[in-house]
Amino acid sequence: MTNKKTFGRLKGREVMVMGIIVAMIILFSILSPTFRTYTTFLSVLDSSYYIILMALGVTFPLITGGVDLSIGTGLVSYGLIGGYLIVTMKMPVGVGIAACILMGILIGLFNGALVALMDLPPFLATLCTCMITRGLGPALSESFGVSWPSAISESGAFRKIFKFTTAEGTVIPIGIVFMIILVIIMSFVLEHTRVGRYTIAIGSNKEATRLAGVNIKFYHVLAYVISGFFAGLAGVAYAATYATIYPGSGAGFELDAIGGAIVGGVSATGGVGTIFGSFLGVIVICLMKVGLPFIGLQANWQQIFIGIILIAAVLVDVIKKKK
Amino acid sequence: MGDIILTMKGIDKSFPGVHALDHVDLEVRKGEVLALMGENGAGKSTLMKVLTGIYKKDSGTITYEGKEVEFKNTREAQDVGIVIVHQELNMLGHLTVAQNLFIGREFKKGIRIDDKKMNEEAKKLFDRLNVDIDPTEMMANLTVGKQQMCEIAKAVSFDAKVIIFDEPSAALTEAEIEEMFKIIRDLKEKDIAMVYISHRMDEIKVITDRVTVMRDGTYVGTLITEECTKEDIINMMVGRVIYEEPKTESQVPEDAPVVLKVEHLNAGRMVQDVSFELRKGEILGFSGLMGAGRTETARALFGADPKESGDIYVNGKKVTINSPQDAVECGIGYLSEDRKRYGIVVQKTVAENTTMASMRNFMKGIFINKKKEAEVADKYVEALATKTPGIDQQVVNLSGGNQQKVVIAKWLTRNSDILIFDEPTRGIDVGAKNEIYKLMNKLVQEGKSIIMISSEMTEILRMSDRIIVMCEGKKTGEIDISEAKQETIMNLATRECE
Amino acid sequence: MGKIKENAFVKKVGFNRIVLVFVLLMMYLAFGVLTGGKFFGTSRIINTLNYVYFLGFLSLGVTFVIATGGIDFSIGPVMFCCALVSGYSLTTYGVPMAASLVMSILIGFVFGIFNGYLVAYWKVPPFIVSMASMNIAKGIAAVFTKTQSVSWPQAAAEGGWYRNLISLNRIPIGLIIFLGVAIVCAIVLNKTKWGRYILCLGSNEEAVRLSGVNVKRWKMLAYIICGTLVGVASIFFVAAYTTVQPGYGDQYNNEAIAGCVMGGTSMVGGLASIGGTVIGVFIISLLQQGILALGFTKEYQYIITGLIVIAAVYSDVSARRRKN
Repeated sequence: MTNKKTFGRLKGREVMVMGIIVAMIILFSILSPTFRTYTTFLSVLDSSYYIILMALGVTFPLITGGVDLSIGTGLVSYGLIGGYLIVTMKMPVGVGIAACILMGILIGLFNGALVALMDLPPFLATLCTCMITRGLGPALSESFGVSWPSAISESGAFRKIFKFTTAEGTVIPIGIVFMIILVIIMSFVLEHTRVGRYTIAIGSNKEATRLAGVNIKFYHVLAYVISGFFAGLAGVAYAATYATIYPGSGAGFELDAIGGAIVGGVSATGGVGTIFGSFLGVIVICLMKVGLPFIGLQANWQQIFIGIILIAAVLVDVIKKKK
Repeated sequence: MGDIILTMKGIDKSFPGVHALDHVDLEVRKGEVLALMGENGAGKSTLMKVLTGIYKKDSGTITYEGKEVEFKNTREAQDVGIVIVHQELNMLGHLTVAQNLFIGREFKKGIRIDDKKMNEEAKKLFDRLNVDIDPTEMMANLTVGKQQMCEIAKAVSFDAKVIIFDEPSAALTEAEIEEMFKIIRDLKEKDIAMVYISHRMDEIKVITDRVTVMRDGTYVGTLITEECTKEDIINMMVGRVIYEEPKTESQVPEDAPVVLKVEHLNAGRMVQDVSFELRKGEILGFSGLMGAGRTETARALFGADPKESGDIYVNGKKVTINSPQDAVECGIGYLSEDRKRYGIVVQKTVAENTTMASMRNFMKGIFINKKKEAEVADKYVEALATKTPGIDQQVVNLSGGNQQKVVIAKWLTRNSDILIFDEPTRGIDVGAKNEIYKLMNKLVQEGKSIIMISSEMTEILRMSDRIIVMCEGKKTGEIDISEAKQETIMNLATRECE
Repeated sequence: MGKIKENAFVKKVGFNRIVLVFVLLMMYLAFGVLTGGKFFGTSRIINTLNYVYFLGFLSLGVTFVIATGGIDFSIGPVMFCCALVSGYSLTTYGVPMAASLVMSILIGFVFGIFNGYLVAYWKVPPFIVSMASMNIAKGIAAVFTKTQSVSWPQAAAEGGWYRNLISLNRIPIGLIIFLGVAIVCAIVLNKTKWGRYILCLGSNEEAVRLSGVNVKRWKMLAYIICGTLVGVASIFFVAAYTTVQPGYGDQYNNEAIAGCVMGGTSMVGGLASIGGTVIGVFIISLLQQGILALGFTKEYQYIITGLIVIAAVYSDVSARRRKN
């Protein structure tokens, strides 16, 4: 069940996933010379930010034994609403970002209420919010696509959080620095605060946690709020990395994040998982998404591969448990 | 021996249809280990649940440290120092030992949980108790024994003055029990009072100071452990008048063939090298105390749980049973002790449950032959005198005894020749019990063979032709009914396991 | 109220179902009035029926899975995968129409085996299996069609006869087929061994296993039935709309599950009603058309369907809680 093997502070699973990452990089580099360029490196990172953010958040509901399927369509809809406020309503960018995050938190609260207070099955409840958010963004923003201010424009400074271009024109992906900082913060939250401790406890044995006098409803809801908050952040990241957000997109984004988390060692049945593992898992997914076209497989193969990897990652756990 | 810390007087508690506690008294002193003994269902656990606020008592008083108290929940009891170490473990397998010990009351340093301090405190606690457990180890990686130690340590960490052990040794190995006893002796030194519920006579002799015996929800008496023998305790436990005539001799003809032979069955710790034979028309009683491994034996035999080794012969032919499906094919039927979980599908009707195991006989082409199904269901409702408004009634609306009859009907419909009754009358009222007994007798007369697992001594003595006694996953004895006495059986069931 | 429930006819049909039919009629009238009668027009009826067909088959399929206590929300994308792969084979590789239709069903069938095997034999949580096969279905469809949308032939074109499956000479053949399949499903669920075991294991899997029944096989069967019906749904989808685009199909998951749960099938398994599902599908289809007819965009469809499923599941959950 739990990985006994530790390498310093790392879990066995994390080391394994790191190995996979290295192997993938080597494989792609050998097969395709163009893969070995700085631009590719940048595109891997660019495509990873919003997925990493989603994964950081969704790790919490997953560890409680639930899931949050609303993050993918959610982030697009938050991005649309934020963009609508900025572009159409001419509000400052800060307001747009705040609205984006706030929407995420609200939907998180809604999910939490459905799952923790009303006892609905998590996958079904969040599947519904997935549909609701999918409609919500376009309905509220009445738009066919929103472009947040571009990097060159005055109010586009927020894009520099993720990608900084120096005067000489070299691009520095400082987004990854922020990602790492967030990984560290959320690892701290998961491993060293009561929020994280009770999240794991709920996933491990909800009834025993309740008997220990823990307010499980509060912490259960909170897990979904965290997920929603990060979906909101992911909305900002998505708006910052991509030129335009289209309504109707976003379905399936959650799969990259949940798949990444599960590849990174989060158990599909709850109780087990680390933030760093989820982060590494997402990197595997992103490498694959960017790398497969380089070796001649068109982009859609990635979907098939992600599906297979997801099943494989869960089967590894199932087989381990059987022994 | 210290002062009295806890007195329970005239505790009375009824559940619908059961008078669980009938004016029971209990007295616990500081620094002693009081054994609480009695057969299954004597009311020990109920009494402890009343004490710790899980159940509300109907009448009687509880005096703790000189004051009358009544707890609303375990938390309140815990706060004043009465802690229960449960039989089933409340573990969070995905957290470390220290994290488990302090769940819900973590040490904090700002917003950060101070895991270091928790580990240190846990270490101190373990040092004090002389146990060797790494506080940073994952709970799931510990053996059941070590997990039990953690539960005890957790109880101690609440500054407990009274600790209740509810069959703590049920899942422990000998070495682990030794270790636990060391802790208990240590706690005694610290003037902590303990109530120790156990079936294991040898443990009682070793670790306890006094023994309080209960029987059928009443208080029987209290003995000083040093001054009494095992026989004294057993006599108090079983000394009830048996109203129903026990069977005096086996009803099975001398030449009845062996229908089922089990050789060297092994399945985990609870089933160790069990061998027995069942003859045609026989009721073979399986006696023993809770956790003796009888249900586990039945489940392994039936293929419900995996087994490690062992040969099974049905009608002299060796068979392979790896799943319930195989067992049913061999003509074995299993009536679980937990009907609602394992016996019936409560949302379905009497008719549907009746034909569950033998669908293939009720097909007309691809359709279910509902007419035939109804006929057979009706036939068994009549034959077994099942009280139901009709065969279209959902089983959930039937009483326990009638649900049991539906399960019996299921196996009779399947034409199973070997029936395993696991606690056939648990949760069934007296009148219905007699009907079930009659039914079982009728079945064996018709040539069926029955294995009956029962924790009720009267039931065992009344129904069985032969009795197998189990203890700690091993078969400890086999007695013909003509030689069976309550004392002999209890002796075998509590045999000092080496 | 109590009296009404005791009435023999009401008892036979089921009180909840009568309420549902009533809701359906009221909705129809309401939409009609709100649109100033336009909603009563033939074209709206045809639109609604077109929606009912493919959604109905999806909903019938997922009813079997939910009856086992599982879930499958890969059905929408799998339906698209069936339509795209066989449609592309038809238009590009010249596979005959009949073979393409069979191929659609076959692809759904294979997905059913895949899902069912993983859930029943490997005990992979159903939501993970659903997520994975949703992705795989979308991926296969996109790879196979090179991310091109596929247009099945028009009625007049060669091989266009398949569109007669929906209506021929103004006779709604589709409705007849759908109701026919629904009746077959109801028979399977209520009158055959398959249905009996599927329902029973959804209610208490362990008790069924201890009766000597091979529960894994029956559980897998539910997913296979579902997959096959998803394949059938894809045929009715293209017969109604002809054009399919890769990468979509998600929204139909929710609508299909909504129809099923509204009809009285319990999310925890063991309780399923094909009749209820049929009425539920009509309600959902009417709602989708009604929302559009009132001038709202499809976004509002998503939101309203989402809320309806939540309400339906919550009423199921709280009814169970009251019982305990």
